[in-house]
Amino acid sequence: MITSSARTIAIAGRRFAIRMPSRATRRRYALFALLVSPALLLRFGTAVYPIVQTILYSFRNFSLLRGTDEFIGLKNYADLSTNYGVRGALTFTVMYVVASTILGLIVGLMIAQLLNANFKGRTFARTINLIPWAIPTIVAGYAFRWLLDDQFGLIPYWYQQITGKSMIVFIDPGGARLAVILVHVWKDAPFMAVVFLAGMQGIPLDLYEAAKVDGANAWQRFWKITMPLVAPLVITMGLFRTVWSLASFDLVYGLTSGGPGVATSVLALQIFREGILFFKFGFASAISTVLLLLVAVIGLIGLWLYRKFEIAY
Amino acid sequence: MVALQTRKHRHRATNWNAIGTYAAFVVFCLVVLVPIFWMVRSAFSVQSDLTRTPLVYLPRPTLQNFRMLVDQVPFLEYTRNSIVFALATTIVTLVVSYLAAYAFARLRIRGSGILLWAFLLSMALPDVGTIVPLYRILSRFNLLDTITGLTVVLSSTLTPFTVWVLVSFIKQVPYEIEEAAIIDGASLPTVLWRIVLPLTTPGLVTMGVINFINAWNNLLYPLSFSVTPASKTLSVSITEVFAGYSPWGRPWELIMAVGVTMVIPITLLILVSQKAIVRGLTGGAVK
Repeated sequence: MITSSARTIAIAGRRFAIRMPSRATRRRYALFALLVSPALLLRFGTAVYPIVQTILYSFRNFSLLRGTDEFIGLKNYADLSTNYGVRGALTFTVMYVVASTILGLIVGLMIAQLLNANFKGRTFARTINLIPWAIPTIVAGYAFRWLLDDQFGLIPYWYQQITGKSMIVFIDPGGARLAVILVHVWKDAPFMAVVFLAGMQGIPLDLYEAAKVDGANAWQRFWKITMPLVAPLVITMGLFRTVWSLASFDLVYGLTSGGPGVATSVLALQIFREGILFFKFGFASAISTVLLLLVAVIGLIGLWLYRKFEIAY
Repeated sequence: MVALQTRKHRHRATNWNAIGTYAAFVVFCLVVLVPIFWMVRSAFSVQSDLTRTPLVYLPRPTLQNFRMLVDQVPFLEYTRNSIVFALATTIVTLVVSYLAAYAFARLRIRGSGILLWAFLLSMALPDVGTIVPLYRILSRFNLLDTITGLTVVLSSTLTPFTVWVLVSFIKQVPYEIEEAAIIDGASLPTVLWRIVLPLTTPGLVTMGVINFINAWNNLLYPLSFSVTPASKTLSVSITEVFAGYSPWGRPWELIMAVGVTMVIPITLLILVSQKAIVRGLTGGAVK
C-alpha cells in the first residue's frame, strides 16, 4: 500500500515540478532517515571511510615507528612484489581459499545428504553438526595444533600405531598447508551443510518417488534432482565463503602461525603483522588494497557464474 | 514366487542403504567429536599426564589448570570482558539493525532498494583491510583499548547480515496489524516496540544468538585494538597463554583450559537454540 502511494506521488512530483511532496511523504522520508541513520553511520564510519583511507595510505610511506608519512606513489606496491612474506602469503592465500572452498562445498553436500537421510540419531547429528561452526576459530586452530602434535598428538599416535611410521605435520610445508586446508573444511563444511540441508528439505519428495518408479538409482537421483535444485545455493555459498576466508587469519594464526617459514601465511595475517605489530601503516594498506582487489575479482566471477547458471537453467 | 523375490530384493537394498548411512554417521561423529574430546581431556589433565608415552586416553581429571589460569593471568577479568563485549555487541547490533530493517521493510522510499543493496554489499569489504585506519580512528576518539570501541566496531561488522535477516522476518508480519494501529493513532515508537517487536521475536532471538556467538569468538578486533587487560578478551588470552613457553614446551593443558572455557557457553547455546540458529543461518540464503 505504502509503496504504491509513494510512487504515484513521486511521478506526480516529477510531472509538475512546482508541486511539493505531500506532508505524509516528507514524514515518511524523515522517519526512514531517522531509523536507518544509526546503521548507515556505523557502516560509514567503520567500513566505508576506513576502506577509502586504506587505499589512500597505500600510496604513502606511513610508518609510526619510523615517523615517516609522505606520498611515495606506487613504491609500496613495488615492494609488495619483492617482499618474501607477502609473496608467500599471496601464493598460499589463493591455494588455500580455492582448495578449502571447493573441498568445503563437496563435504558440505555430503554432510547435508547425511543429515537429510532418515535414521535414528539424526537429531543428534544435526546438533553436533553446529559445533565446528560455533566454536571459536582460534580455539579450533590450537586444538588441532595439539591434536596433530608430532610428539604427543592423538592423530600422529594413531598413525604410528597403524603404519609404524611417524607423522610430521607442521615442520613440512606441504603437511602444514594440507592441515590448514583440512581444518578449514572441518570448521566450514558443517555451516555449508546447514544451508544445503535447508535447500534439500525444500525439494518435493514426489520428485524422488517419481524418479524411483522410473528406476533411477540413488546416485542418479542425487545428480539429476538434488544437485540442479541446490546448485544456486552452492554457488552463493562458494562465493560467500571465499570472500570470508580471504579476509580472515584466525585459523592460520592458531594452527601454524603462518609457518614453517611463510608456507601457510595468508594476506590477512600479513596485514595484521605489518600494520598492527610493526605499525607500517602504508605497507599494510597496500596489502589490504590487493586483498580488496582480489575480493572484487572473485565477486565479479561469482556474479558471472550466477548469471550464466541462471540463464542455462 | 515373483512377489517373494521382489520383497527379498527390496529388503536387501534398504539394508545396504541403512548400513551406508550408519557408517557415514559414525565417521561424521568421530570427525566432529574427536578434536573436542582431545581438548576437554587435555584441559582437565595435569601436564605430566599429557606427555606420557604410551598415550593415556583418560588421565585423572583435575581442575588445577583453571586455578592456575586464575592465579597467573587475569583470567576472571578476561572472562568478564568477553561476556560484556559479547552482550553489548549483541544488543547494539540488534537495536541498530532492527530500526534499519523496519525502515527497509516498511517505509519504502525512492532509492531504498539500492541503499539496502549497497548496505549489504558492504559486507564484502574485508574487515582486516580496515584495521589500520580503524586503529587511528579509535585512538583519536580515545576508544583504543576499551570495550566500547570494540563494541562499536564489531556491531558495525555484524549489522548488514542482521538487517538482511530481520528484513525478511519483518516482511512476514502482516501489514494490516500495524495499519490498524496507525489508524488508531499509534506513534512510531509504539508501533516498533509494542506491535512489530513481539511479532518478530523469533528473528531477534535468532540473530541475537548468532551475533553473541560471533562476538564471543571474535579475535581480530580485540587482538588489534586491545593493549591491556582492561579490554582483552578470552580469544586474546588464549593466544597469550600459547605464547608463554614452559620448560616442557607449550603449556597445552592451560591452552586447552582456556579453549574449554570459551567453548562451554557456545555449546550450551547450541543445545538450547539449535533450531533458532539454523533458521538464522539459512534466513539469508534460503528464501
